[in-house]
Amino acid sequence: MATPELTQTLLDFIAQPHADEAMFNTLALRLFAHQMQHNAAYGRFCRARGRTPATVRQWQDIPAVPVNGFKELTLSCVPVDQCERVFTTSGTTREVKGQHHHPDLQVWNASMRRHFADCVGPLPMRMGMLFPTEADMPNSSLAHYLQLALQDHGLPRSTHLWNAQGVDSAALLAWVQQAQTDGQPVALLGATYSFVHLMDALAAQQPDLHLPVGSWLLDTGGFKGRSREIPMEAFYAQLSHTFGVPRTRCINMYGMTELSSQFYDAGNASVPSIKRAPHWMRTRAVDPLTGQSVPPGQPGILVHTDLANHNSVTTILTEDVGIVTEAGFQLLGRAEGAQAKGCSLAVEDFVQAAQA
Amino acid sequence: MNTLQIGHLPGIDLAEVRWQDLPGLALPESHRLQVPVLSPEQLQALCTHLRGPGREALRALPVREIVQAIDATIHVLLDPSSEAHQTLLDWLPRVTGFSPEMVRVNLNATLRTYRAPQLQRFVSEDLGGPEMLDGFAPRVTGGLTHAEGAALLTHVWAGNVPGLPLWSLVSGLLVKAGNLGKVSAGEPVLANVFAQTLARHAPVLGQACAVLWWDRQDSATAQSVWAASDTVIAFGGDTALAELQRQMPPGVRFLPHGHKISFGAVGREALSATRAPRMAQRAAEDVVRHEQQGCYSPQVFYVERGGATSPQEFAERLAAALQQLDSRFARPQPGLAESAQIAQWRSRLEWDPQVHMIGQAEHGWSVAFHAQPLALAPGPLHRCVQVVALDALEDLPTWLAPRRRQLQSAGLAVAPERLQPLALQLASCGVTRVCALGQMPLPAPGWHNDGRPSLLDLVNLVDLEASTEALAEGLSRYEV
Repeated sequence: MATPELTQTLLDFIAQPHADEAMFNTLALRLFAHQMQHNAAYGRFCRARGRTPATVRQWQDIPAVPVNGFKELTLSCVPVDQCERVFTTSGTTREVKGQHHHPDLQVWNASMRRHFADCVGPLPMRMGMLFPTEADMPNSSLAHYLQLALQDHGLPRSTHLWNAQGVDSAALLAWVQQAQTDGQPVALLGATYSFVHLMDALAAQQPDLHLPVGSWLLDTGGFKGRSREIPMEAFYAQLSHTFGVPRTRCINMYGMTELSSQFYDAGNASVPSIKRAPHWMRTRAVDPLTGQSVPPGQPGILVHTDLANHNSVTTILTEDVGIVTEAGFQLLGRAEGAQAKGCSLAVEDFVQAAQA
Repeated sequence: MNTLQIGHLPGIDLAEVRWQDLPGLALPESHRLQVPVLSPEQLQALCTHLRGPGREALRALPVREIVQAIDATIHVLLDPSSEAHQTLLDWLPRVTGFSPEMVRVNLNATLRTYRAPQLQRFVSEDLGGPEMLDGFAPRVTGGLTHAEGAALLTHVWAGNVPGLPLWSLVSGLLVKAGNLGKVSAGEPVLANVFAQTLARHAPVLGQACAVLWWDRQDSATAQSVWAASDTVIAFGGDTALAELQRQMPPGVRFLPHGHKISFGAVGREALSATRAPRMAQRAAEDVVRHEQQGCYSPQVFYVERGGATSPQEFAERLAAALQQLDSRFARPQPGLAESAQIAQWRSRLEWDPQVHMIGQAEHGWSVAFHAQPLALAPGPLHRCVQVVALDALEDLPTWLAPRRRQLQSAGLAVAPERLQPLALQLASCGVTRVCALGQMPLPAPGWHNDGRPSLLDLVNLVDLEASTEALAEGLSRYEV
């Protein structure tokens, strides 16, 4: 059930200037009770762990669902055929994709708009999107995200620089030249791997891609095996060098299909940067076997509690390793590098072999 | 600061060798491991020494003396008062992550398989005896054959299971090859201590083997080593082995051993009220020994229906046995990435209505019981096992077929009349070793690892045909 009343509560919460711990906790527990009641799969998951609204008193004790739960289970309070939109995780066609069902996008949109406006800018801006349009990828949360950014903050000549092959380098060159002629600051937004593809594709030509003063860049999502992996330091050094944009204006957005909100850093002058959450979101670093938070400053697996995730589950166990600080969290990388130490075939090898 | 230098470099002036810390290993600040950094000239000199004087002196020894020398060295390594033994007990837990108690128990069991009687069997197993290695031995069909070991046999070891390097290094010495071993950062200690102890107690053998390490990225070192090698035996994952295969110059014999998966199978006759607890205990020991890191470690137990104890009861007994072993051999704390993998594995199974998960995530083990048959699949190790109920063990081939290329050991608990027919069925599926439940991580001396001969792959069989003898007869001084 997505009651209009619950939706309104969330919209009001997001609109507040900030939220203290008690306000966050109250709403988190209310959503926990709601989700346990209306989401059968999640209810079973919590009861197996002895966690119910009667025993959970603080948001930190809400059981975290591993991200693969979005692949294996139907995590929705509203019957999925009544949901307006489903966002699916990226991945190869042979893989099972995670599905995040949204009865409507009111809360998702409010969350995106508020935090984007708070963290990214200056706005409005002439924007170039290194990603397909929402019409081309209706199940991509990133396509929808970029669409909202363009719609709300895009100045004339904002456009998608994308064709069937990927980043449209010819269109991009013309677009950058236009910006240079106009002396007009611009923004390029897109997947991290798209920036890598672009820089690789234009490496031989070495065109002048320096953007006018005041421009900024936003990348998201990492490499996902779609481009060569570059260490973060080298990536931002190259990005800054290629586009002539200071690293303080190279912003990274951390988002997941399984969430309804995003995190931003304040540029990448030094890496790993600190990612900041909006006031309706909290992050912990945990020992994944016990679910307990690791001591402050220690790396752990990141668990996000996103109150905007009202229809699925608020609390998600990621596969990301990070350190949580007062200001936010630092992403250290994916936890998927676990190799068998011995000569025994282990899960990872198996997954790789199955995909080969 | 407790520093251990990993490097045994016969024929090289040690005063000239530069050392660096072994990267990528998390050690306490009080301990450091160093590896040599050889110049191209030093590496060349090392290979020349191993192929030349080092190997020639070994080649002059009869197999009997080589066996005695290895036996004496093993004796030193087993002696609790020896410095070598102390070094192993001090360092192996630090580098492998296994508990000191686990290392102590397994080390002795492993080393004992390399004593003289076992080594003699090793030689008889593949070559019928030492004669072919010591000279030419007559063939039944006429003529003679000699087994000539590789001039330079290079070993690329992987993983953290102590003992694996010994198996190939000892084989190399028995065939009188020059040996160059590249240790893995996961367990660089045992091969090095073995080679140095060998050098002290049997200098001729010590001169015929070198132990070193180089970075995977260091293609210059790798290329010069391959170029100098006749045979390269390598252990590792599919990706690493495929990369090595690409690097091999033409004519080098490449013997890859990839990662493998093993399982146990328990017949209904082993599930009586008195037998079932003992079988569960054996299964638990197979899981705990080497923390499932070995290619021979079980990841799934197939349990037959129709016994006095049901497959699900067996799973619960296995869980109880794992819990009991946990108090003596606590599971080493898995790293963050490994913990995440265990959590993901557990949750995936928990969501499957066909699966009954025994034990909580914070326990040092997990047993997942499947009432429906299931294809053999690897888990996240660290004492995570699946128990699968089967109507009959004869159905096993169906569930093993998808893993054909990766199969290795089957630990069986069945009645004598079923043993050979079932073993033959397993053999046709790709299983290369059948042993008793409870013995899975303890392969018999001279075992055919991955179904290959231990020694035959390391030699050339040189035929001296009868015609040569016949012609020679006519060319003697006394022939008129």
